[in-house]
Amino acid sequence: MNHWLRSYGLLLGWTALRSRANLVLNLVIQTCLAVGIIIGFAYLVPQVDDATALYFATGAPVLGLITVGMVIGPQEVASAKQEGIFDFNRSLPVPRTALIASDATVALLTALPGIVAALVVAALRFDLTLDISPLVIPAALLTAFTAIGLGYGIGYGMAPPVARLVSQLVVFIALMFSPITFPASRLPDWFETVHKVLPFQYMADAVRDTLNTPAGGVGLVSFAVLAAWAVVGFLVTYRMTARRP
Amino acid sequence: MKCYRGSTRANDGISLHVEAGEVVGLLGHNGAGKTTLINQVAGLAMPTSGTIRVSGIDPVAEPAKVRRMVSIMPQAHAPLAGVTPRQATRTLARIRGLDKQAARTRTDELIAALDIEAWADTTGEKLSGGVRRLTAFAMAAAAGPGRVVMLDEPTNDVDPVRRRLLWEQIRELANRGCAVLLVTHNVIEAERSVDRTVVMASGKVVAEGTPAQLRSRAVGEFRLELTAATDGDLPKLPDHITAAGPMMNSTRRLVVPLDSAAASPALAWAQRLRDEGHIDEFALVPVGLEDVYVQLSGDEAALEAEKGAQGEPLVA
Repeated sequence: MNHWLRSYGLLLGWTALRSRANLVLNLVIQTCLAVGIIIGFAYLVPQVDDATALYFATGAPVLGLITVGMVIGPQEVASAKQEGIFDFNRSLPVPRTALIASDATVALLTALPGIVAALVVAALRFDLTLDISPLVIPAALLTAFTAIGLGYGIGYGMAPPVARLVSQLVVFIALMFSPITFPASRLPDWFETVHKVLPFQYMADAVRDTLNTPAGGVGLVSFAVLAAWAVVGFLVTYRMTARRP
Repeated sequence: MKCYRGSTRANDGISLHVEAGEVVGLLGHNGAGKTTLINQVAGLAMPTSGTIRVSGIDPVAEPAKVRRMVSIMPQAHAPLAGVTPRQATRTLARIRGLDKQAARTRTDELIAALDIEAWADTTGEKLSGGVRRLTAFAMAAAAGPGRVVMLDEPTNDVDPVRRRLLWEQIRELANRGCAVLLVTHNVIEAERSVDRTVVMASGKVVAEGTPAQLRSRAVGEFRLELTAATDGDLPKLPDHITAAGPMMNSTRRLVVPLDSAAASPALAWAQRLRDEGHIDEFALVPVGLEDVYVQLSGDEAALEAEKGAQGEPLVA
């Protein structure tokens, strides 16, 4: 355990040091993304009522997290594989889980400011009053970890060119065809069923219900489904990191 | 006391042993299976059969344990974007088990020894290929004594002066009790710097021994190389000079293996040919490891070695 913690700490420093160069750009892009979603989606819908505003305001941070985890994440992994960084990391005298955990931690830390920026802009733009539950913290963390875990799963589990394409597809589906910024009931029945399995709807539900708690309280199904998806993503990542050809 | 014994059939039956304090050079043309061997020893790739032991530990059964005793300098560039050589070396030293103070001391020592102080605090993307390479070496070498250190083509891109410094540091690793296994294409440098050489071809070990032992396998002690003035007009070897083995010739070039007794008359003959304008140039060079290597690893390697340096000519 001591070796694990020491490795994790050192890797965290090492990863932070290496991503420091892109940190500012990353933060700017994420903030722009979050702000852009709120302002841009409002153009699509001229009359924003309270219900729609709530979907936009709570959907924007989720879309931000999906972009960081499932688009930027797999693309970074694809580059790391092609540049030999993945092989280099694999040769380090550290536990694989510490390696993955340190990467995920840095990804999480860079994703958090985007959430806050989105909420602030949403509150200003739509003049919302939210009923925030303390469960918002685990909800946001779980959503972030699911996005990061699945993003790594895509990046590590697929060949770099395929991973890049899939990550593009993910953002397209998440942005336009997922019940994140609109209710699932607007989708055709079959697509609604598909989203009962995919993680997107549960990410949106977890964040929305904890930011503005509905009368029936926060549903825990979303948390369970997200945890399951996160486990799948990280398991694939672990398997690919520990794989010995 | 780090040593390993490899006998993996995955690359078609390799058996070799590296002792602590020893530098072993692994030679072989592209695709000969050298990098695969390194990955197998480090527990990053599985052998299909055979046994590997790193200080008695099996990397197949306990890869995590073995990784903690092995340092690899990979063939690809180390990840240096956004970090300086000093930061990278220091962090890797810590990851490889040194405490803060020891990591700092070892880092400063390596940076000074490799003469890269001028770039020690410049971030990776602004560094030249050679400095990146030296940094990658420092990142592998920054560890406590007594490890297995595996270097995959460590001298690529490095300038001749720092290359010597690098070879000194490789020797220094062995002096500190490490077992060093290095992959290289630079046969001439390896000849001067390694204790033992293993030549691989098509996944097999085709020769093993000290550079002197391997050299003794070559035909003759010298090699006379002639370049004809015009294509197809190669001179014939006169009767009083006896070749020590089969000659090699192309349209303009003739290579004659010679024993030391024949060197002097051969030199006189070649000088006369040049004075008379039959040949453009000639060289009499002592047979080196490279000649043996070329013989051993076949035509593919011969083409590559041809592009490289040709030894140190006595006369040109």
